[in-house]
Amino acid sequence: MKAIYIYKYLIISFIALLLVSCTSTEVDAKFDQNATERLSARQKELNDVLLSSAEGWKAVYYTDSTQLGGWTHLFKFLPEGKVDMASDFTLGTDTDTKTYRSQYEIQAGSTASLVFTTGNRIHLLSDANNYPTSALKAKGYLGDFQFFYYGQKNGDIIFRTNRNGHFLRFVKATAQDWTDLPKNTAIIQSLKGNAASPLFRVMETNDGAVTHQFDFDYNPNARFGTATSLDLGSQEAYDVAFAFTPTGVVSKLPVVVKGQKLTNFLYDSATTNFIATGTNGVSATIKFRNEPTRLTEDYKLLMPQSGNNVYAYIYSTTKSESANSALFLTLLANAEAGAGTGLFINRIQPWFNNADGTSYIEYRFSTVANPTVVAARVYHYFTIKTDATAKTVTLQPGVWKSTATAASPAIVAPSFLKTLDDQFMNPNGLYFARVQVSGYTGYTLTSTTTPFRLVLYSFQ
Amino acid sequence: MKIVKTYKAALIAGVLLLASCAHEDQPTESRLDFSVPTKTDLDKWISTSFLDLYNINVYYEWDQNTVDNTRYLFPPKVEKVQPAMEVVKKIWIDSYTTIGGVNFVKKIAPREFVLVGGVNLNTNGTLTLGLAEGGQRITLFQVDNLNKKSRANVTQFIHTIQHEYVHILNQTKPFDEQAWSKLTPVGYTSTWYTEPIATSRNLGFVTSYARLNIYEDFAETAAAILTSSKAEYDAILASVTDATAKANIKAKEALVVKYYKDAFNIDFYALRDQAQKNTDAVVNN
Repeated sequence: MKAIYIYKYLIISFIALLLVSCTSTEVDAKFDQNATERLSARQKELNDVLLSSAEGWKAVYYTDSTQLGGWTHLFKFLPEGKVDMASDFTLGTDTDTKTYRSQYEIQAGSTASLVFTTGNRIHLLSDANNYPTSALKAKGYLGDFQFFYYGQKNGDIIFRTNRNGHFLRFVKATAQDWTDLPKNTAIIQSLKGNAASPLFRVMETNDGAVTHQFDFDYNPNARFGTATSLDLGSQEAYDVAFAFTPTGVVSKLPVVVKGQKLTNFLYDSATTNFIATGTNGVSATIKFRNEPTRLTEDYKLLMPQSGNNVYAYIYSTTKSESANSALFLTLLANAEAGAGTGLFINRIQPWFNNADGTSYIEYRFSTVANPTVVAARVYHYFTIKTDATAKTVTLQPGVWKSTATAASPAIVAPSFLKTLDDQFMNPNGLYFARVQVSGYTGYTLTSTTTPFRLVLYSFQ
Repeated sequence: MKIVKTYKAALIAGVLLLASCAHEDQPTESRLDFSVPTKTDLDKWISTSFLDLYNINVYYEWDQNTVDNTRYLFPPKVEKVQPAMEVVKKIWIDSYTTIGGVNFVKKIAPREFVLVGGVNLNTNGTLTLGLAEGGQRITLFQVDNLNKKSRANVTQFIHTIQHEYVHILNQTKPFDEQAWSKLTPVGYTSTWYTEPIATSRNLGFVTSYARLNIYEDFAETAAAILTSSKAEYDAILASVTDATAKANIKAKEALVVKYYKDAFNIDFYALRDQAQKNTDAVVNN
């Protein structure tokens, strides 16, 4: 065969292949529409359903239920990309449940997403500068405001959040939801407590026969708490992630008592307790109390055998500690207001077991204009009594002096210091315990009967 | 004819090849939605004040592609946008326009402003006040917090733009980097944020951030002068106790002044005075 024929047949067979390869360019369509049309349809579907609910939508947004609770949001979507929004987020001490208007958009990306495009209440969860725990520094409340549309289920809209991929469910809101939202505020405040609330909290579970006590540590900003068993040797612990309702709190994480999962804690205004009730007498109760959940032996540091130990409230060091209670700060402010114009209390310094056998609280005053110079001092002498059973110390009041020497005469008790000083001289005693602070060794003095607690710098 | 004969097969193939493509669908109009969304009054104001005049667009609605999505940032409140951009226009654009000429900002400017409501907090505790990306886009943070009545607040906000705009000018015409790097060669540090400002000044830097590198140093020096009155800047100089450091800050100031004169024929002190006058107008109105 001549080379030319080989060439010809080869060409013909290539052409044949070429033609055959073109014959079936049609692929089986998996969808009726192409990708762009489907995405557009999806966007329209989402927008239509958002606009369809007359009273809007409600979402309890748990941004991360391993460390944060939930925030209730109400949305009313309006034409032309406007949205009315309200939430029960607490900014500082202010829970503003009023409704504000902003803009939203249905954006197209990997899928259709709902984006709240201008500032409103939901963005409070994404403020880098406002975070509830130090672990969340620069991360705010881990919130998101771009939600990918995942579909609808039983009339609810299912989203996934953009950043963290959590599921978020929008349920149809009712007119009642909008009128109820402001009622969450009182419940939020009740769980947080106020200046008059006792400083310690326990969770008590009842399995129908036996009760168990748990230390309950709650962070009101994070809306997250941890209950750890106070039973000796028990490792039992529960995390709770709270969202609020007009009547109580709902935890995303259950407390398990005798196999029953308890999540709905109802507020009882008579006792200020939050009670979750199961069947057959099972319950879990969150309550305040004055007695610390764990007592320490630290009070022995104040006894004569421990020597001359000195502690102090120092305005520039200890005032900002979170363990200072509202009652202490209020009484401090009142005393400063009564001290005279331009004066403030620089230090409150208890001296225990001085070399000459005395003990006293030294109050130091400075002027606002010159805070590093001591303008005046007064001393309130006391004797020490300790109680080994209750593990408390009682300061029994003695004379007041303006100079801490044996020879100096007693003075009249300064009236502006009385209410503050009375807390130190509480006849029922005080708890004294080490506290975790950064930069120095700290202790707290805590009243046994009132919500009075302050942090002291230890000079030892 | 021999040629035709030889390549007959190839010819047939060619004809067939062309024919096989003849009946393909022609592209129709785009399926993407290019319809312009309804413009709000704010959008119209941005168009007439920035887009039409200076070819600068202002993005205030959230678009995750214009921000760092690993940061916890959020869009500004709508009512905060116009006041913030009025401050930008008055103190930055109007000052450069008055001194540099009516077309100055039109020719050299970032083409996009992205507005963010809150602060951009870094995990080391520092705040990123603004970002300039490739000379094209400036991101401004803390728009929600801008208080026009507070001079300190306005100055901090405008400092960001003045600083970033100096970078953009530098990208157009470089400054004398050799002369600059000889002034304080040893003071630069990547951990500038741990340095107290007084220490930095006594090493010959106007701020601690200026110690990151010579480009930030230049921008900080220029921005510090532009955002201070003469008396305020003199007070900064007076606070420097180290004589060498003071001389170095003054030498840097001279380089900045020379740069503006040589590169853009701008009297830098006149620009500073104009910016101060416009800042007064913002704060007092």
